[in-house]
Amino acid sequence: MFTILKLAFRNVFRSKKRTIITLSSVSLGLGLLIISICLMNGLDKQSISNIIHSQTSHLKLFKTGYFDKKDEIPLNKTIKNPEQYYNKIKQHPLIKEVESRVLFGASMIKGMDELPCLGVACEPGSDPKILNIKDSLVAGTWIDSKKSGMVIGANMADDIDLNVGDYVTIRIITSSKGEDLTWNALDMEIVGIYNSGNPAVDSSHIIVPLKFAQEAISMNNEVTEIVVCLTNDNEDTLEQVKTWLCTIFENSGEKIEVYSWKDLAGTFLAISKMKTKNSAIIIMIMLFIASIGIINTMLMAVLERTREIGMLMALGMKKWEIMKLFVFEGGLIGVFGSLLGCLIGGLAGWYLEVKGWSISSFGETYEKIAQAAYPIKDVFYGDLSFNILLYTFIFGVVISVIASFYPARKATKLNPIEALRYI
Amino acid sequence: MALLKLENISKIYHTNKVGVLALNDVSFEVEKGEFLSLAGPSGSGKTTALNLIGGLDKPSEGNLYIDQTNINNQSKSNLAILRRNHIGFIFQTFNLIPILSGFENVEFPLILKGKNSAEERKSKVEEILRIVGLEDLMHRKPFEMSGGQQQRVAIARALVKEPKLVLADEPTANLDSNTGKDVLKLMQKLNKDKGITFIFSTHDQMVMDFANRIIRLKDGQIYSDDMRR
Repeated sequence: MFTILKLAFRNVFRSKKRTIITLSSVSLGLGLLIISICLMNGLDKQSISNIIHSQTSHLKLFKTGYFDKKDEIPLNKTIKNPEQYYNKIKQHPLIKEVESRVLFGASMIKGMDELPCLGVACEPGSDPKILNIKDSLVAGTWIDSKKSGMVIGANMADDIDLNVGDYVTIRIITSSKGEDLTWNALDMEIVGIYNSGNPAVDSSHIIVPLKFAQEAISMNNEVTEIVVCLTNDNEDTLEQVKTWLCTIFENSGEKIEVYSWKDLAGTFLAISKMKTKNSAIIIMIMLFIASIGIINTMLMAVLERTREIGMLMALGMKKWEIMKLFVFEGGLIGVFGSLLGCLIGGLAGWYLEVKGWSISSFGETYEKIAQAAYPIKDVFYGDLSFNILLYTFIFGVVISVIASFYPARKATKLNPIEALRYI
Repeated sequence: MALLKLENISKIYHTNKVGVLALNDVSFEVEKGEFLSLAGPSGSGKTTALNLIGGLDKPSEGNLYIDQTNINNQSKSNLAILRRNHIGFIFQTFNLIPILSGFENVEFPLILKGKNSAEERKSKVEEILRIVGLEDLMHRKPFEMSGGQQQRVAIARALVKEPKLVLADEPTANLDSNTGKDVLKLMQKLNKDKGITFIFSTHDQMVMDFANRIIRLKDGQIYSDDMRR
């Protein structure tokens, strides 16, 4: 075994240029595979983190029927006196914080400009423990329950040229029946501008104090949702707490439903899944091309060494030993190519994880497309793990071994006499 | 008891639907320790006979015995084991493994045979390389050696496993006459000293002169069988 391996090792470097070209194609293919996986994982991780920490939190409690109509932002399916549930909810040790919010349809008017937006009325004290909006303020201050100020996203501020201290008119849609809308218009001061990193939030969410919204919409201690923040982003924790909350509200007969961020970000998850499938197809094509390179190299080796194969047969090497020799050679190309691929992919992945990839480097059009596809702004970060490198390495070696089977089999099919006569 | 016995051996090659009779009803026996030359012009069937004796090919008709074992009935795997343990090959074009040194080329059959420790192998390889006069060049790669030196390595490779039979297909054809003579003298010496049976093919009278028996082939048949001394 060791001798065949030693022989295979030396044979790999017999034709250095060809081996280098083959190694390059394998390592480049695997390197790109690692970079793609790293980037896709990073995008998903960053997107999910942005969705949870700037938009939905982990779990939301709605009045029964609200979720199905959520796109209409209804104000008639509310939870009354939400504080009554807080103690019950907070009993679970994995729940970190709870707050009540009112979501309302609105538009922001400045002069002749009117921008549709989503009003988010939250508890100024609790919200920063759940979402990162306060932490992401780039100008001004956070909202105060005693004042009527609001904070808006940086994208929105740019779109209609607003600054801290400016007053704008907010038109709050208080009810909608078909095409008939009723609204309430108020002048409000912009007290802060945030940049959460989630383009959907930064371009459409205006944050106001809960008490202020309840008064403006005439909601007497009613909210449209109770937001629950967990101690971690783990999926098991999410499912565990969701099940626990569902059971509690089912048992108590309350008409309250529990939804996780996954239910609320279903479209994103569906697109992400589709993109993963498409990327997998592209990666498979790339690796197929790399394996064609290995097949070609090994076939060339069989052709070049035909007489030698005949001699090895004459010396008494059995067919399966000759097959093993060529499979080992392919496997070694796989090992070296995969190591190199892991090095290339690992370094690039590390760079993507630490420094990220600025979307703006691709130009404004691509930036907009990217922001439409992912809830990420400015920089995409990769997510590299040891397992990605390990599985890619194993995958590369296995593909190389499989690719070398055909040439190896061809070598064993040679007639020793004809092989010895081969010029 | 004959080491080798060919009994009414015929071999037909089929090329482009035409059968070519390479050997036609050939029978002869070879005793242990013979230094035998299969002589004849190109196409006379010398190489075919060597290939059949070496188990690289099977006869179309007849029986071929090595040590009373009919090798016609053996599987390819068993024939590989037979070659590995009992038959040494020397080729016209040396056919050394270019990525291995002289020492490693000679060691390779012993590794395949798998019956010796690394120490035993080293000792056997060094001994045979000393006999063929290459102890100082053993770590050179084939491309760093002359044709004569490469053929000496090939002879050492064929003999290191102490085979019953060494088959050499025109072993001096690629060498100049002086080097060819040196190689034949070496083969002759090993035949005498170690009692190893050699069968070599040639069409060169000078080479035939070294043999103690010459079987001449013509058109796939034995033309003459002369014991020389």
